[in-house]
Amino acid sequence: MHGHVSYEDFILQVAGFLTAYYLFVAVMNAFAALYLWQSGRAKVLLRLPGSGLAVTTAHVWLLVAGVFTILSAYATNGGAAALSLPAAMREAADSIMGPVVYTVGSLVLLAGLYLGRNFFVKPTVAWAGLNLSLLLMGLSMTDMDFASIVMKPDNVPIVAMIYLLGYFTWLSAYKAVQNDERTARGEVPLEKLDDEKVLVWPDLVYTELICMIGLTALLFVWAILLQAPLEEPASSVKTPNPSKAPWYFLGLQEMLVYYDPWMAGVVLPGVVVGGLMAIPFIDFNKLGNGYYTINERKFAYCTFQFGFLVLWVTLIVMGTFLRGPNWNFFGFYETWDAHKVEALNNVDLSQYFWVDLLHTGRPKAPDGSSMFWQIFYIIKREIVGIGLLAFYFGGGPPAMVIYSKFFREMFLRMGFVRYMVLSNLILLMALLPIKMLARWTVDMKYFISIPEYFLNF
Amino acid sequence: MADKEKLSIEQILAAARNKDGGGAGAAPASEAGPAETPKPAAKAAAPAKPGKMSVADMLAAARSSDAGGEAAESAPAAPAEAKTAAPAKKPGQMSVAEMLAAARGDKSGGAAAAKPAPAKKPAAAKAAPAAKEPVAAKHTGPKDTTSILAAARAGATKPGPITKAEAAARAKEAGADPTKKKSAAPPMPTKPDYAKVAAPAASSSERRGFMVAATAIFAGTFFMTSSLAIGFSSLAVTMLLWVLGFARFMFPNILTEPPTKFKVGFPDEYAPGQVATKFKAQFGVWVVRYEYNGQPEIYALQSVCTHLGCTPNWLEGEQKFKCPCHGSGFYKDGINFEGPAPRPLERFAIRVADDGQLEVDKSRKFKEEVGQWKDPASYVSV
Repeated sequence: MHGHVSYEDFILQVAGFLTAYYLFVAVMNAFAALYLWQSGRAKVLLRLPGSGLAVTTAHVWLLVAGVFTILSAYATNGGAAALSLPAAMREAADSIMGPVVYTVGSLVLLAGLYLGRNFFVKPTVAWAGLNLSLLLMGLSMTDMDFASIVMKPDNVPIVAMIYLLGYFTWLSAYKAVQNDERTARGEVPLEKLDDEKVLVWPDLVYTELICMIGLTALLFVWAILLQAPLEEPASSVKTPNPSKAPWYFLGLQEMLVYYDPWMAGVVLPGVVVGGLMAIPFIDFNKLGNGYYTINERKFAYCTFQFGFLVLWVTLIVMGTFLRGPNWNFFGFYETWDAHKVEALNNVDLSQYFWVDLLHTGRPKAPDGSSMFWQIFYIIKREIVGIGLLAFYFGGGPPAMVIYSKFFREMFLRMGFVRYMVLSNLILLMALLPIKMLARWTVDMKYFISIPEYFLNF
Repeated sequence: MADKEKLSIEQILAAARNKDGGGAGAAPASEAGPAETPKPAAKAAAPAKPGKMSVADMLAAARSSDAGGEAAESAPAAPAEAKTAAPAKKPGQMSVAEMLAAARGDKSGGAAAAKPAPAKKPAAAKAAPAAKEPVAAKHTGPKDTTSILAAARAGATKPGPITKAEAAARAKEAGADPTKKKSAAPPMPTKPDYAKVAAPAASSSERRGFMVAATAIFAGTFFMTSSLAIGFSSLAVTMLLWVLGFARFMFPNILTEPPTKFKVGFPDEYAPGQVATKFKAQFGVWVVRYEYNGQPEIYALQSVCTHLGCTPNWLEGEQKFKCPCHGSGFYKDGINFEGPAPRPLERFAIRVADDGQLEVDKSRKFKEEVGQWKDPASYVSV
């Protein structure tokens, strides 16, 4: 799929895939309906007046299965092209989509899911969401650009992992919501009801053995179905365009766009590891040990999910699917044009301050001045950025104590040193999206820019 | 010890041990009379029983030895009886078999003690009181395990494993003992003539010869002291050589790069505003005819991104260098303007050679951020 394939040929190729895909979704829903029916867990949605016939969730999923079966049959009989999102809709999605919309949008979406978790974790709602996302995915697959990115052998496992991550996040939230409701009623968490010991042998060992065999089988199928993503021979003068890290480092590669290499590649990952190691010393909340809960550990849960889902997973998704040639941002349905021109004229804060605000040049040491004066002028040049960051890290922690009741209690509980460690870690974590937004919105390059000594922040 | 039927195993063992102690206690007696045995019971048993006792017998013997011991208190003949045994062993080094034999012998000893013992040899009688006292003292003492252990600990030499401190203390004691032999090295053989250091020749090199001799003597003494000294010296020399070899390894004897100086054609071959990309593949250089600070110049830019070292591409349509890795962008003059690259691209030295061609020298680099682009070696004016 390098643009040599005509749209008709592409549709023929993708039709076979879509047939199997829709059929799979149909079977999935049929099994769900069967399970609900047989286990008697189907919820009655409404009763038809007169006959007294009850419409349950099992009926709904059976109906959905039927619809997907028809879609499958339609796709295999030459209707695949029609099974796509309207072109206007796709173009609108592309034009809206940008780094800011994407990042802020994911943040808002996740926050909404979190706030409405009592509703969204309901199995019926979650299952409906899964069906919708699968349908959207199927409809998007008829778009050449979308398909070429998603079906790239490198990216297939990432798509699978998005769904896997969604499943596990839902599962934990579902159990947590259940437990929180029980706690509100004064009952013990579900995990405490079934406190029986599980033996390593045979319980755990058998589970591991079965997983091992299952994974090996999966790898076999994967290796047979998907070709290895080999690239052209390496050359020291020709860098692949786009040049991407392994998927699990794409978040880091995205960070590298906004920070100096040693900052994004060494200092910040080191802070991440150090911060994770500091958790046992910072976290004084003894609740939630051995069972799922959100209400009892709101701060820990939100901080972790922000750091993991927003600052890591969405960056990986962005790096994988939305970053094209020259590391430009491309929408989901946009062609990866290597010659896309984007105005990314980045400006340092010192430039903004001295040139644009004061209309004087940036302070510069006279030629041939001594080391001392050179450093003096550099600090004078970057004084705004240095002051800003000093204010952020120095004033942030006390401001949090003064203005937030939550952090005030935390400070009293933790003491000065532990509180400073915690607040600085949080401020540093918040600085990443702040810097990214500043780059996207006001072309902020570096707050402190001292290229003379490789110090940029 | 009234109830002989109900002796516990501990008591039986204790009794057996006491017999051993009795033997040891008899040791001083043997010094008094060289003809006598310090191990009376053991050898006394030998003729009495040819060594075919059942375990039951042995236990019974131990029990009766208990009784015999008590009897010995009243009958001084009991140790004397033992003196009949042949002289043999050192005290304190009994094998298990001997201990058992002692127990067995005591049976007969006890039996002997039961009847009024006739006077024995005078030598034995002489030793008897000496031997009797410790034995009797032992036997009248408490018979429980703890007291036996305590008694054993109280002894000068503790049986069983000892700590290092104890060993040191013991060694010190032994050292203080004048009877202990000192291990002395045999006298060194006299050196043969050829091994003797020649007397320094009374010549101009007398001083030097003396130094050589002194060194040789010193080294000879040193090496003869210990084979370990030789070993460690060889090891040190080997390690030193290894380090030197490693240092040499850091400067390989090959040239991995193409010559740092190469010709890139005549200046008038470059049109104003042209970026020549044809040297990128071989030399990693763009030769650009453009301007810097309003001055028209020809300069050579290194095709390495200042962010993380990827190779940017020259985009003719957008008139910029663009890095595919993180999106850094550079103007035609090499100044960074977009993406994360913190510094402008670097220049190589360039000059007009004698034949009129431009010559790029990759061994010298010029960085804009430290003002090196003003150096005339970094460009050719056109």
